[in-house]
Amino acid sequence: MVVLAESSPILPSELALRAYELSTDAVVKETCYGLIVTGSEQAVNETIEELRKLDPSGIFVKDRGFPPGDSRRCRAVRGGGPRPGFHQLEKESAILPSISYGLETIEDPLDVKHQKKRDKLKIDRFIEIIEEQSKEDVNG
Amino acid sequence: MAKILIFPSNSLILSDLVARFGHEPLTLMRVIRKKITEVGIDSPPINVTPEDPKKGLKYAAVDVPSGVRGRMALLDPLIEEAEAAIIVHEADYSFGCMGCARTNELVKYIVRNKDIPRLELAYPTNDDEARVFVRKIRDFCESLTHKAEVLA
Amino acid sequence: MTRKIRIAHLSCGSEYSGIQKEIENAVASVNAELVYPEVDTDTIKDAVSEWGLEVASPDLQLMIARAKSIVDGGFPVDAVFITTCFRCAEGAITRSELRRYIHERANLPVISYSFTERTSAGTLLTRMEALVTTALRRTLLAREKQTGLTAGIDSGSTTTKAVVMRDNEIIGVGWVETTEVLKSAELAYATALKMARVDESEIQALGTTGYGRLLIGEEMKAALVQEELTVNSKGAVYLAEKQKGPATVIDIGGMDNKAISVIDGIPGGFTMGGICAGASGRFLDMTARRLGVDISELGPLASKGDHNRLTMNSYCYVFGTQSLVNALSLGASKEDVASAACYSVAEQVFEQQLQELEIVAPVIMVGGTSLISGLVEAMQDVLRMSVVVPRYSQYIGAVGSALLASGFIE
Repeated sequence: MVVLAESSPILPSELALRAYELSTDAVVKETCYGLIVTGSEQAVNETIEELRKLDPSGIFVKDRGFPPGDSRRCRAVRGGGPRPGFHQLEKESAILPSISYGLETIEDPLDVKHQKKRDKLKIDRFIEIIEEQSKEDVNG
Repeated sequence: MAKILIFPSNSLILSDLVARFGHEPLTLMRVIRKKITEVGIDSPPINVTPEDPKKGLKYAAVDVPSGVRGRMALLDPLIEEAEAAIIVHEADYSFGCMGCARTNELVKYIVRNKDIPRLELAYPTNDDEARVFVRKIRDFCESLTHKAEVLA
Repeated sequence: MTRKIRIAHLSCGSEYSGIQKEIENAVASVNAELVYPEVDTDTIKDAVSEWGLEVASPDLQLMIARAKSIVDGGFPVDAVFITTCFRCAEGAITRSELRRYIHERANLPVISYSFTERTSAGTLLTRMEALVTTALRRTLLAREKQTGLTAGIDSGSTTTKAVVMRDNEIIGVGWVETTEVLKSAELAYATALKMARVDESEIQALGTTGYGRLLIGEEMKAALVQEELTVNSKGAVYLAEKQKGPATVIDIGGMDNKAISVIDGIPGGFTMGGICAGASGRFLDMTARRLGVDISELGPLASKGDHNRLTMNSYCYVFGTQSLVNALSLGASKEDVASAACYSVAEQVFEQQLQELEIVAPVIMVGGTSLISGLVEAMQDVLRMSVVVPRYSQYIGAVGSALLASGFIE
């Protein structure tokens, strides 16, 4: 299963076109999020390797349990509701642009301030805030 | 190349990053594919039969719900083969095989008690966290490669 | 071809317990299909927090979101089947709260079940039948009064019961031991007709229930042939005059026990079966014989005794009998033995079956064993709740059938 990060400039149709050009034994199916590539392990791996070159940090790949359209998991046959992994995929897809960015900038220095955990509020400052707030409430 | 158990075991991001950084992700999808193509069994959707919860007795006693034991039986090959593990917390949208909190607690416990290198981190929620996330996984994967080279 | 009944399946572990196919087989045999409500990924968390139960398992959260989608009318279904693993606390809480929520908000029939890897299609079939009946025959089940002249026959494993009713009154009853299913039914029916001074040809509609319902229903041209869960629920709340709101029906039978939680006269969750005859009426029957008294005398005898004076555990019929014989040989009084036997059966039913069910007042005890006063007292003691035994409680299935059959009078 080939998933494109939303931030990727590549379109699923372009991916599919490239996959067809490769003319390996793998079967390619275009989807709204990318492609499903089915076939022998070697053919699939070769295809994937070539496809990744189009946008190395914007194309993500995972294995799939069921072949596309398998009636045991098909929405239409099994009374609606997506297969269990769908929601997870949708949620992960939403953060793919960030992961993409993480990959693109992997050699750049990290800005340490972003890693620093937020300190707990000091009790004195908390008292100040309460006092400020109550004054505002009285005045407001 | 090390076999790395990923958690959630159906994660696209983890599976991709592990493969990208040169190792083999142990995924649930592979187990499922084997399961659904098993000859002679017809127990849709995923060919789990009442035999599986019994196999799960390896990890949990009979007074543990059957759904936990059945899931453990599916995850068993991954736990057995794992040479390293990456666990991501707050995986709230993992359903199905990863949809039972008790099973997930047990899997993580078992993995933590295995004598294998382990990385635990949270799902990133923004670009900065994602940068750290990707880097930590890369560093972890590189440390495994390095270790393998030293041992070789 | 009629449209298939759409049953929404809310479940968190049936696929992983290897019993999904059993569920699907049971559903297919009642001409229904399982469907899975669609929910947007982004709405799951909101649905859970809005509903207010903080469950940890994502699959239970998905169940909640799907239930909300049904209640909000976003996904049309005819009935709902909620399943979670047996022995899971989180699952049990979610299951029972979702059942109540869907029943109250969407006014749909809901049945919940806690499964193990041993759950079979056979076990689920009666439940599916009851679920489909409640979905298809809502108007029929809404009936609160018997009208016209109707009869009901309940063909049980041990006894066959018949009643004749006219204008909401029971005018004839019959009770025989079950030997040959059809012959016993005819005999019980004839007794009831005779008592009612009515000829069979005058009966406007007949209803049958119990194990022999299909055979008797076909032979006697019954207007209604219905499984005992629906019929007993209806019969119990009718006889106890508790037709509105929740109730719990307990029927300790000769072979198996039923505990049904009922809402507005419609069955919700229930448990059927029992591990051993030690937890059934059969054990009390044996006790009475061993004590040399008629079964009708066992109750009053037990009321005079004190179960605390001896230990009896009828978890197993054989061991139960053994401890009974031992107690007698050590000089225990008949009264104490009778009391201990009743208490043991009540405890077994409580521990094996009622734990899975939400026990809500009023608790209505029905069936032949409800006439054993000592057993009812023991049950009240174990439950710490008062138990209602309505008049004619032993004829529950027959009364329920006669009541529902009156819906078929043209």
